[in-house]
Amino acid sequence: MLGRIEGRYDVVVVGGGPAGLGAALGARDSGAERILVVDREPETGGILLQCIHSGFGLHHFKEELTGPEYAERFLERVVDHDIDVISGSYVSSVGIDSDGDKHVRILREGRGISTVESKSVVLAMGCRERTRGAVRIPGTRPSGVLTAGLAQKLVNMMGMLPGKRIAILGSGDIGLIMARRLTLEGCEVVGVFELMPYSNGLTRNVVQCLEDFGIPLHLSTTVAQIHGRDRLEKITVAPVGPGFVPDLSRAWEVECDTLLLSIGLVPENELSQSLGVELDVITRGPRVSSSMETSLPGIFACGNVLHVHDLVDFVTEEALKAGRFAGEYAQGIRRPKDNITLVPGNNVRYCVPHTLAPGREHTIYMRAKEPMKPCLIKVGDLMQRKLGFVVPAEMIMFKIKPDVLDRFHGDTLRIDILPYEKEGGR
Amino acid sequence: MSQVEKFVCIGCPIGCPLQLTHEGQEIVEIEGASCNRGAKYARQEFTDPRRGMSTTVWIDGARWKRLPVKVSAPIPKDRVLEAAGEIHKLRVEAPVKRGDVLLRDFLGEPGVEVIACRTMARE
Repeated sequence: MLGRIEGRYDVVVVGGGPAGLGAALGARDSGAERILVVDREPETGGILLQCIHSGFGLHHFKEELTGPEYAERFLERVVDHDIDVISGSYVSSVGIDSDGDKHVRILREGRGISTVESKSVVLAMGCRERTRGAVRIPGTRPSGVLTAGLAQKLVNMMGMLPGKRIAILGSGDIGLIMARRLTLEGCEVVGVFELMPYSNGLTRNVVQCLEDFGIPLHLSTTVAQIHGRDRLEKITVAPVGPGFVPDLSRAWEVECDTLLLSIGLVPENELSQSLGVELDVITRGPRVSSSMETSLPGIFACGNVLHVHDLVDFVTEEALKAGRFAGEYAQGIRRPKDNITLVPGNNVRYCVPHTLAPGREHTIYMRAKEPMKPCLIKVGDLMQRKLGFVVPAEMIMFKIKPDVLDRFHGDTLRIDILPYEKEGGR
Repeated sequence: MSQVEKFVCIGCPIGCPLQLTHEGQEIVEIEGASCNRGAKYARQEFTDPRRGMSTTVWIDGARWKRLPVKVSAPIPKDRVLEAAGEIHKLRVEAPVKRGDVLLRDFLGEPGVEVIACRTMARE
C-alpha cells in the first residue's frame, strides 16, 4: 500500500479488478515505467473475490481456478512487476490539458484529494447490476428484494444470509450460481424465473446449479407483482405472452422472503461520460479503436466497462492488449488512425472493437441477438467461419489475420451471422 | 429389460440431450451427442457422477468474515450437501495462506482435501 502519491505517471488505470490489473501488466509489458492502479474497494481483485465458485482461468492459466485464486495469482504478478496500487481510492475526475496530458483527481480514504498527471489513462471500472427499477416490477417495496451479486458478497465475504426462502428472477450465470450457493448454505430456493424462452446462463450452470438440486427453472415466465409490507412475503409469477406481456389469467403465487434479481449488467461509465468519451448505445460502453482507444486520444478502455463479458479469461486478454497500447501511447508511439468501421449486421447485437486498421491481427468480440444453429459468420466478403451454434449468453470471439484486410478497400465492413445448412447433417 | 436415462451434456453451450440405454449396470447405447465428449459425459454420469465443490467457512481476525474454500478433487454428487454441512462446521483463525489444507481425506475419500482459496492476513 502506497503512502503518498504524487507526480507524473505514464499510465494510470482506473479500477483494480481483473481488467485493471491486466491493463497494468500490459502497460508494463510495453515498456511503460510508472504505472498506477487506483481501486475504490479496500482490496484489489474486483468481483472475482466474491465469485468463490470454480471455472476461471481455463484459457489464461490453463487450469480451473476459483475467483479468489485467479485474483490472487494475478495480483502477485502485478506486485512482482513493481506497479503502484492504491485501494480505498476513488477517481473523481480526469481532465485533459492542452498538451494532451491527463490530470487524474483521486479521493483517498483518510488522506483527502490529490492529483496525479499521466500521459495515458485506462478505464477499467467494470459494470454494475441492473436493479428492480430497471425492470419496473409492480407491487410494494419491502426488504428482501436485492440483486444476486449483492447477495453473493453478503454470503461469500460478509457472512450474512439474505433470507431463508429464495426466489430468483433471471437465469443469468450469477443467478444460477447463487441458487446453488444458497442451497449449500441451507436456504430453500423455490424457483428461478426467466423471461426469455431460453436460459441466459451456460448449460453447465443450469445442470450443475439447478438440476442437481431439483430447483425448477420456469422459462418464458416473469415476476408480475411483489407482496409484503416490511418484509417480502410472496410474489406473483406469470407466463408471458407475445411482447413479453405477463398473462395474469395463468399467474400463480410463490411464497418467499427473498427475491434475487439476476437481470443483467450495465457498464459503469459515469467517469467516461464526464470526460466526453463517445459511448455505443448497445454495449453502453465506450466506442473503441483496434488499439482499445476511446474517442479521446490517450484514453483507453477494457473489460466490463467496455462490454459485459462472460469469461474473465477474455477480460484478461483484452486488458493486456489495452494496457500495451496505453503504454505505447505514453511512450510517444502513435499508430495511424483506423480506417475501417465495423457494422453489426444480421443477428449481430454488437461487435468490439468498433474500428479496424489493415496490417495487424485483430481479435473481434461479438454477441448474437438470437440462438442459431448451425450458422456462418461472415466478415464482408473477406472471410467466413462455420459455427455449430451461437447463443446470446456466450460471447463469440474470433481473429482476423493481418493480410485479410489488405484486400479490402471500403470504409465499412459488415459482420453477419447467417443460418447455414450442413450437407447431409443430422 | 433395457432402461433409458436422460442427461443434458455440459461439455459446451449446445447442451445435447443425451439418452443412455442400459440393462442393469451395463450400458447398451448412448445417443444424442454431436461430439465424443457427450458419450464420455453420459458414461461418467451413469457410473460415478461427481462434482467439484466450493463454499466458505468462518474466519476470525481477518478483514472479511468468510474464507473461500474448495475440495481438491470432485466428490460423489450425492454427497455434495453432506460435504457442505461438514465443511461449515469449520472455524479458522487468520492468517491463512492460499493452498493451506484445512481437512485431509475428506468424507473418507483418500487424497481429497479441503483447501483455502485465498490468503487472508491478520488484521
